[in-house]
Amino acid sequence: MKKRRLSLESKRKINGYLFILPWLVGFVVFYVRSLFMTVEFSLSDLQMDVVNGGYNLTWVGLKNYIYAFTAHGSFKQILTSSVLNMVVDIPLIIFFSLFMALLLNRKFKGRTLVRAIFFLPVILNAEAILDAIESATAMVATGVSAASQEVAAESAGIGMAYYIDLFGSLMLPKSVLEYIVGATDRITSIISASGVQIVIFIAALQSIPSNLYEVAKMEGATAYETFWKVTLPMITPHIITNIVYTVVDSFVSSDVVTLAYNEAFTNYNYGLSSVFSLVSTLVTCGILLLICGTITKKSSFYN
Amino acid sequence: MKKKLRHLFRHRKNRKLNRSPAGNALLFFLMGIFGVLMAVPLVMIVNNALKPLDELFQYPPKLFVRNPTLNNFVDLFVAMNSSWVPFSRYVLNTVIITVGGTVGHVILASMAAYPLSKHEFKGKNLLFSMVVLSMMFSWTVTQIPNYMIISWLHINNTYWALILPACSFGMGLYLMKQFMDQLPNALMESARLDGAGEFRVFFRIVMPNVKPAWLTLAIFQFQQMWGNTGYMFLRDEELKPLQYSLQQIAAGGTARAGASAAVTFIIAAIPIIFFLICQSNVLETMTTSGMKE
Repeated sequence: MKKRRLSLESKRKINGYLFILPWLVGFVVFYVRSLFMTVEFSLSDLQMDVVNGGYNLTWVGLKNYIYAFTAHGSFKQILTSSVLNMVVDIPLIIFFSLFMALLLNRKFKGRTLVRAIFFLPVILNAEAILDAIESATAMVATGVSAASQEVAAESAGIGMAYYIDLFGSLMLPKSVLEYIVGATDRITSIISASGVQIVIFIAALQSIPSNLYEVAKMEGATAYETFWKVTLPMITPHIITNIVYTVVDSFVSSDVVTLAYNEAFTNYNYGLSSVFSLVSTLVTCGILLLICGTITKKSSFYN
Repeated sequence: MKKKLRHLFRHRKNRKLNRSPAGNALLFFLMGIFGVLMAVPLVMIVNNALKPLDELFQYPPKLFVRNPTLNNFVDLFVAMNSSWVPFSRYVLNTVIITVGGTVGHVILASMAAYPLSKHEFKGKNLLFSMVVLSMMFSWTVTQIPNYMIISWLHINNTYWALILPACSFGMGLYLMKQFMDQLPNALMESARLDGAGEFRVFFRIVMPNVKPAWLTLAIFQFQQMWGNTGYMFLRDEELKPLQYSLQQIAAGGTARAGASAAVTFIIAAIPIIFFLICQSNVLETMTTSGMKE
C-alpha cells in the first residue's frame, strides 16, 4: 500500500481538529443535543407517561409559540422588563469592573487580599451559603424584618424623591436622571454582579506586554494617554468577553428563566416552557450580537 | 503613620507621571468604601462561626463576636460523626468531582480554543456561534433534556455525570479564545520553524503565555464545581459531595444553628483560599510577548 504524504496545510488542519475533538464531543453530546431537544419540545405537546416511565410527544406545530405571544398573560411583559434590566446593567457593570480592575492591578500591599474581597460575592453566591445565611436570618429576625423593610423603603423613597427634585432643577434630561437614580438604587447588585468581570479584566491587564508601557513611558506619554492609547485598545476584546459573561450571568438568573422554570416544574407545561426559554435566548443573542458588532467596528485592534 | 502616608504619595517621584496625590487619595478612598461594602458578609460569616449560641440568636444581631468560642466547630464534628457514611467519603467525592471538573475543563477548553483562535478551518464561525448560544441556555431550564442525556449515556449515578458536562462547557473556550487571539502569530511560527510539533507549541508556547487566563478560568470552574450538590444525578449516599452533606447539616434548623454557622465558614473559606493561591500566581506572570522586533 502506498502511503500518501500529507501536505503541510492538511496536516495542520488535522491537528486542528484533533485539538478540538475531545471538547467538541462533549459539547455536542451535552449541549447541542439538549438545545435540539428543547426546540423539539417547543413544537410539541409533552405528556409524562406515568405507567411506562418516559414521555410522549405529540406534534402541535407553532401552537405553543402562538399561545405564548397572544394568550399568555405575562410573558411579553416579563421578557421586555428582564431584557431592559439587562441592557441597563451591562454598561454599569462593565465600567465598574474595569475601574476596579485598574485599581486592583496597581501595586500596593495586601493587593491579593483586596482582590479576594471583591471576588467574594461570586463565592458567596453558592447555594449552600445562601441557604445558611437565609436560615440564620430567618431564625433571628422573623417578623421584625418585615417592619424594618417597610421603614427602609419609606426612608429610601423620601431620599430618592428629594434627589430627583434636586437634580431636576439642574436641567438634566429626565431619562438620564432616571438612569442615574436607578443606578444608585442598584449599586449593591451591580457590585456583587461584577466579581467575575473584575477578575477577567485583571487577567487581561496582566496579559498586556509590558514593553508597550515601556515604549509609552519613553515617548513621554502621560498616564492618561497611556490608558487611552495602550490599555484600552489592548483590553477591548476582553470587554466583549465580559459583556458576554454579564449577559449570560444576568440572563441565567432573570425573571424569564424563573417563569420558564415554573411553567415546566409547577404547571408541567414543558412545551410552553421551552418556548419561553428559546425566545428569550434568541432575543438575548440578538442584543449581544448588536452590542459586540458595534464595539468591534469602533475599535481598531492592535496586533 | 506620617511615614506611611508619605510613602503612599511618593508615586509621583519614582513611578508614574501625572498622578496627583489627591487623585491617589481619592482612588484609595473609593476602593476602601467598596471594599468595606464587599467585606461585610465575610466578616459576618467569620464572626458567626465563632459566636456562642446565645450571641447567634441575639437581636439585633451584632456584627462582631464578644466571646469567641470554637464550640460551633465541635458541634459540626459531632454532626459529622453521626452521618450515615464516613465523613471522609464526602470529602473524597468532592475532591474527585472538583479536581476532575476543573482540570478537565481547563485543559479541554484551552485545547479547543487554540485552533479556533489560530487555525483556519471550515465551520469555525458556526461552531463559535454555537458556543455562545449554548452559554445562554440556562441549566435550570434544560434540566429535563440534560437528565435524559445523562441517563442515555448510562452515566447516571456516577461521578462522570457531573464531571463530563462541566468539561465541555462553553464559557472556558470563549475566555481562552479571547486571550489566545492576542498572542502574536509569529511566536508560534518561530517555534514551528524550530521543529516543534503542534502539541509542543501548545503546551510550551501558548499555555505559558496565557497563564493569567487559565488560572482565572480555574478559579471560576473550581467555584462552580465546589458549589455543586449533584442532587439530580447522584443518588447513592456514598457518591454525594461534601457540599450536599454540609447543606444537610446546615438545614438542621435551630438545633444545629452553631454547626450551620461553622459550615458556612468552611464552604466559603476553601474557594477563597483557592482564589488567593491562583491570584498570587497571576501576579507573578507579567507576560512579555516574547518578541523582539
